[in-house]
Amino acid sequence: MSMVYINIFLAFILSLMGMLVYRSHLMSSLLCLEGMMLSLFVMMSVTILNNHLTLASMMPIVLLVFAACEAALGLSLLVMVSNTYGTDYVQNLNLLQC
Amino acid sequence: MNMFSSCMITALVILTLPIIMSSTKLYKNKLYPYYVKTATSYAFMISMIPTMMFIYSGQETIISNWHWMTIQTMKLSMSFKLDYFSMIFVPVALFVTWSIMEFSMWYMHSDPYINRFFKYLLLFLITMMVLVTANNMFQLFIGWEGVGIMSFLLIGWWYGRTDANTAALQAVLYNRIGDVGFIMTMAWFLLNLNTWDLQQIFITTNDNFNLPLLGLLLAATGKSAQFGLHPWLPSAMEGPTPVSALLHSSTMVVAGVFLLIRFHPLMEHNQTIQTLTLCLGAITTLFTAICALTQNDIKKIVAFSTSSQLGLMMVTIGINQPYLAFLHICTHAFFKAMLFMCSGSVIHSLNDEQDIRKMGGLFKVLPFTTTSLIIGSLALTGMPFLTGFYSKDLIIESANTSNTNAWALLITLVATSLTAAYSTRIMFFALLGQPRFSPMIPINENNPLLINSIKRLLIGSVFAGYIISHSITPTTIPQMTMPHYLKMTALAVTTLGFILALELNLTTQGLKFNYPSNYFKFSSLLGYYPTIMHRLTPKTSLTISQKSASMLLDSIWLENILPKSISYFQMKSSTLISNQKGLIKLYFLSFMLTMILSLLILNYHG
Repeated sequence: MSMVYINIFLAFILSLMGMLVYRSHLMSSLLCLEGMMLSLFVMMSVTILNNHLTLASMMPIVLLVFAACEAALGLSLLVMVSNTYGTDYVQNLNLLQC
Repeated sequence: MNMFSSCMITALVILTLPIIMSSTKLYKNKLYPYYVKTATSYAFMISMIPTMMFIYSGQETIISNWHWMTIQTMKLSMSFKLDYFSMIFVPVALFVTWSIMEFSMWYMHSDPYINRFFKYLLLFLITMMVLVTANNMFQLFIGWEGVGIMSFLLIGWWYGRTDANTAALQAVLYNRIGDVGFIMTMAWFLLNLNTWDLQQIFITTNDNFNLPLLGLLLAATGKSAQFGLHPWLPSAMEGPTPVSALLHSSTMVVAGVFLLIRFHPLMEHNQTIQTLTLCLGAITTLFTAICALTQNDIKKIVAFSTSSQLGLMMVTIGINQPYLAFLHICTHAFFKAMLFMCSGSVIHSLNDEQDIRKMGGLFKVLPFTTTSLIIGSLALTGMPFLTGFYSKDLIIESANTSNTNAWALLITLVATSLTAAYSTRIMFFALLGQPRFSPMIPINENNPLLINSIKRLLIGSVFAGYIISHSITPTTIPQMTMPHYLKMTALAVTTLGFILALELNLTTQGLKFNYPSNYFKFSSLLGYYPTIMHRLTPKTSLTISQKSASMLLDSIWLENILPKSISYFQMKSSTLISNQKGLIKLYFLSFMLTMILSLLILNYHG
């Protein structure tokens, strides 16, 4: 496996770690989610361009579209939480209020 | 070549002169009402010449002078039909209008806009003449709409009063519903007979005239206040008394009946429409006579009396006697206008008091008005050899001896006796007994304008029936032989009505009025018809429109079916089945730990 792939893979792992481990703000996990999407996109594009898999060059675009949808969904959830509590601290998400 | 058409056109042009003069200085003059009245009287005298020519020689004329346009195959022109009906109606209408204008010079004396009032009355008269002398349906429609508009303007004369505006609007709306029928008839004639001229309509044979005749019946129901479209007529009493005397007793409300009489060659052979007319007229005459029994406003009682007589005219058309109905129109104009003028004299003398419970004892104070009121009421009920007798008695006789609907005939007879009853009520409460009004009013009926106008109509009420019925050409043959009990029916029921009403009034004069019974409430609230119709129908249509437009389309189809139902379902199911506690950091950390552990262990697998 060449250096490029390892690099991008490392970026992906880093974003994953960032998403799973965070302190208080929900926003940081959403940002790391975006980072994951970005690294996946780059890895996909490099692989396809290097191996000349022309028929699969649609896939990064599709990935981008779904990433946008999921980002919007995540943001709307964030906005709902923020509307109820004023902040997006993750300790607010207990059972007392939905 | 004689002066028939010239005299008639001259008479009609004389009527329009004061309207043309209204843009000059003459209109601001204090003598303008006098000019209008004189113009009307001259028009009457000139129109008597063609009428007498018609009576002498039976000459009928059609004047067709201006070709307006031709739409593909149909020719529209301005044409006047001067036949039996219009030649006799025009002098009668002009005579009555002349008297009413003289009366309103006394009645509206203190009104600052009296010139405009006279202009409106004259415009109404002109449109009525256009209606009566029209030879094609388009010109008739022009006159029809014209009288409707002038009725609106004149009913709402005192426009500062809310009730007057409501009444004017009511008149226009009810007339509009009738106009739908008129336009349907015009459309049918246009499509099937390719004409709007009366001559061509009458000579074209067609099997089924049901639809246009139904349209004409609807138009007559709207304009002549038959049952179903009747509430505008008693409400129209909000206008000044001359307006009530002219429009809503003699001329405008007979326009509907006149329309049906004009189309009598079509109605002769159509039994269905005749039966419909008969039943409608019978219901109208009975219902309005019942409502008139318990009213307390003198003008409303006379308005219901008008409505009842209009129902009687429809009954006459229903038994296929259009000429008798026309005779009743002409004779009815005299005594009904006089009744309104006498009530106007009473109202003005008592300082604008219209409630008959607050009148009384006017027998000695207003002798001339009392005389004319009693003679008018007697003529209305068909006292032998006064005016009403020559038309009303003939109608009852024809109805009795014809093969007609027995139920309609019976309720017409009941309505005839009720006519006598409410006439007695007016006379008893307004004229007889001790006065119930405040004694500080100076009562004076000595004005020559008032006296002369009522005197003219009084002479007409007494003699006009005799003169007209002995001058006209014989048309349908009246029934000559009948059993004596049928001949005396009208007289008997009228006498019965008189006696009963007089006895009841005298007996209950001093008694206290207890809680009203159900029949009283039915009669006094006009059969609950306005209460139901003016509230239920608009509320229903508004509710339906709100429910269908706002609730059905907007709320349900656009909002609720997919978007809101999906979100609602998701929320409900997620709250139902989720049992998590929301400890996100813990979940994420455990996920990460699991992944690291699995990577480490499985890496050293083998």
